[in-house]
Amino acid sequence: MRNIFKDTGKEAGQTREQYNASMHVIGRVFTWLSVGLIMLVSIFYCISAKQLPNWQALASSIPFLLGYVAIGLIEALSYAPLLGTSGQYMSFITGNVSNLKLPCAINAQNITKVEKGSEQQEIVTTIAIATSTIVTTVIILIGLIPLFFLQDKIVTVLNPISPYVIPAIFGGLTMVLIAQYWKIAAIPFVVCIVICVVGNFIPALAGKLTQSTMVIVGMVVSGISTTILYKTKKI
Amino acid sequence: MQASLPVLLTLGAETPASFPIIYALGGVIAAVIIAMCVFFIVKSVRRAKAIGMEKKQIQETIKSSAIFSIVPSIPIVIGIGIMMQFLGIAIPWIRLTVIGALQYEIIAMNQAQAAMNGATGPEMIATAVVIMTLSILSGPLFNAIFYKKYQGKLADLQKKNGRLMNTVTGALLGGLLAGMLSAILVGGAFTVGKTPVPDASGAVTYGEVTLITLSASVVIMALCGVILKFGKQKWIESYALPLTILGSLVVAYFCVPLFS
Repeated sequence: MRNIFKDTGKEAGQTREQYNASMHVIGRVFTWLSVGLIMLVSIFYCISAKQLPNWQALASSIPFLLGYVAIGLIEALSYAPLLGTSGQYMSFITGNVSNLKLPCAINAQNITKVEKGSEQQEIVTTIAIATSTIVTTVIILIGLIPLFFLQDKIVTVLNPISPYVIPAIFGGLTMVLIAQYWKIAAIPFVVCIVICVVGNFIPALAGKLTQSTMVIVGMVVSGISTTILYKTKKI
Repeated sequence: MQASLPVLLTLGAETPASFPIIYALGGVIAAVIIAMCVFFIVKSVRRAKAIGMEKKQIQETIKSSAIFSIVPSIPIVIGIGIMMQFLGIAIPWIRLTVIGALQYEIIAMNQAQAAMNGATGPEMIATAVVIMTLSILSGPLFNAIFYKKYQGKLADLQKKNGRLMNTVTGALLGGLLAGMLSAILVGGAFTVGKTPVPDASGAVTYGEVTLITLSASVVIMALCGVILKFGKQKWIESYALPLTILGSLVVAYFCVPLFS
């Protein structure tokens, strides 16, 4: 850490735009590398097992795949302003954005009290997401050892609390952000509550209004309501 | 899923999914991910120094993010435990280290199994891995091809009208909170007193415990706020959210048996 702080490297002479452009280059390189590696897993498995996938099952999964493609694109578009340049690349390479990377970045932004939209915010977000990814990768690696030997016991003991991690994160996070965003979040919150309640009475929507779906619905509603508030100078 | 667990558990260590080459690939992938993060941290810290940010801010960011990430990482490990029953240990490890998100991966795996009428074995694993790969690629591919242009437009907006850009960011964050909270609250309220159905991972969600956990999280965070403001305990700021998550999960842990 001390050496990194002593040496500013070529970053010292760069404008924000130049620095940002260099982050895009690095982000793209790592994204292509990760996509290649993850595709190799499928290829290596099929070669090692001398087994091709079931084409019929793949064909019948096309509607499912299209749904996931759409979710991936919507998430990439909507999370981009929140994650910043480097954060966006890292988050989509490593996954777990809404349940880990984004809350972690927001937490770090609040603690360091960086200005919205500033380069400082971008830097704090990048470091938060990178640190979070290292910690998760190491915990996963460490977790593999007990999992290998005691998988059924670990799953039996800890799986019952897995569904409650999201409420545990978002209850506290809401308390932190409510003072800043209550004006913007109030309308989408009421609309989302109505959608969820009504959705529970419509059999076709039962079980479809999950947390992932509602985050996208919330962002769309919030986009519309905030535009109206902005244009009428209420915020 | 629970009924088939005893049979599938035997697949955990002995499944043909656990080829040495897959473990080797997993090692390479984990190394690439850590290298990427270290690279971004080094670049960011140097840039922070160049623009005159305080060293304390960087240290605070690293410390708070590391502590924050510990508890939410545990369900990811449990996710590997669930998926390894079907896919061996190496593939879930790789998937949840890179690109895959826990909530999507388990559903994608179940989709493969459902498309093959619940079959297990090498053909199901090959199909599942391909489905899991194809289903998660759109986000990274968007970033690799279009993100620079898209981010350029966002940067232009920030430069021309910073207030509008901050409003857009606020709207997205407000929408995220609104959507997530509404799903948690209504999902919890509508399952109170009902017999819950296990989800794709086999976990059972009780509405009562969801609402209690959410309330506990709000109360613990409020207590941290009181300690920070009135007790003048500045140190708690860095630990407030991790403490809140841990505390409310402890509450959930003890509440689950009361409703099951």
